[in-house]
Amino acid sequence: MTGTEMERDDTTLADFFVAARRAAPAPSEALMARILDDAEAAMPRGADGRARPGPDPRRRGPLAWFGAFGGWGGVGGLATATLAGLWFGYAGLGDPVSLAASVSAALTGGGEAAETTDLLPGGETVALVAGWEG
Amino acid sequence: MSMPLDAEESRSDDALLALYGQGDRLAARVLALRLTPVALRVAQRMLGDPAEAEDVAQEAMLRLWRAAPGWQPGAAKVTTWLYRVVVNLATDRLRRRRTVALDDAPEPEDGRPGALAGLIEADRAAALQAALMVLPERQREAVVLRHLEGLANPEIAAVMGVGIEAVESLVARGKRGLVTALAARRGELGYDGD
Repeated sequence: MTGTEMERDDTTLADFFVAARRAAPAPSEALMARILDDAEAAMPRGADGRARPGPDPRRRGPLAWFGAFGGWGGVGGLATATLAGLWFGYAGLGDPVSLAASVSAALTGGGEAAETTDLLPGGETVALVAGWEG
Repeated sequence: MSMPLDAEESRSDDALLALYGQGDRLAARVLALRLTPVALRVAQRMLGDPAEAEDVAQEAMLRLWRAAPGWQPGAAKVTTWLYRVVVNLATDRLRRRRTVALDDAPEPEDGRPGALAGLIEADRAAALQAALMVLPERQREAVVLRHLEGLANPEIAAVMGVGIEAVESLVARGKRGLVTALAARRGELGYDGD
């Protein structure tokens, strides 16, 4: 293609290019809204406190166990169960064979066994542990 | 974190992208207002379809948001990067559909060539768009970037991933193709042609 041909093309097309530039499309409000929504959603995490999503419960650090057990109510129940376990162990009720024998004897009126069954052996110590005294 | 709007508007694209990466919503807004028209224009001229052009513009901007955290300031112009993304997205769509023939382009409203100067201009814009659509894609890219976006050849070369001589050749052949495509309608479009 010669220089003359190129110049002729430029002359011919000049008005068309001007017209096309003036007729350039403008973004609609809806498109801008979608793009800004995308910007919000794609905003890097942790960069903005308000945009930051809630922390992953699996990565909340050393106190994560607190929430995992259901907060104050759950931890309170766990403490009660722990104390109960201590009591069962200290009182010797953890042995199911002796406990069953004692209860059975009590229910059947079985003589001496009924006299020696004590469902709260060492109760005073339990009371100490639970803070009921002093 | 956000700066006043005036301060943000005076910032470079690079700086705004970095601010967006730090959670600055206002920076995102300024960037969107500045760059969405660019993406939409190029997409529309490449595709000739307003709905598809909007989709491409939105996707290109989404890729920009996602690129923000790893953006290297000064490594590339944001607009050059965006042009490249838009052109690639548009090319992908073009490959999935058949080329629209020039004859499918809308005709001037009521066959009154020269009735109103404004109408002629609108017709010329529509005719140029139709003529662009019959060009080979690479020629169309080069012509759009050179003559409608006003980019210099080195930047076009960077967008298209070719050398400057290749850009010059693509632009020249593209313009020849446009003249040929428009020649058939020169009377109704109000230009003399050759």
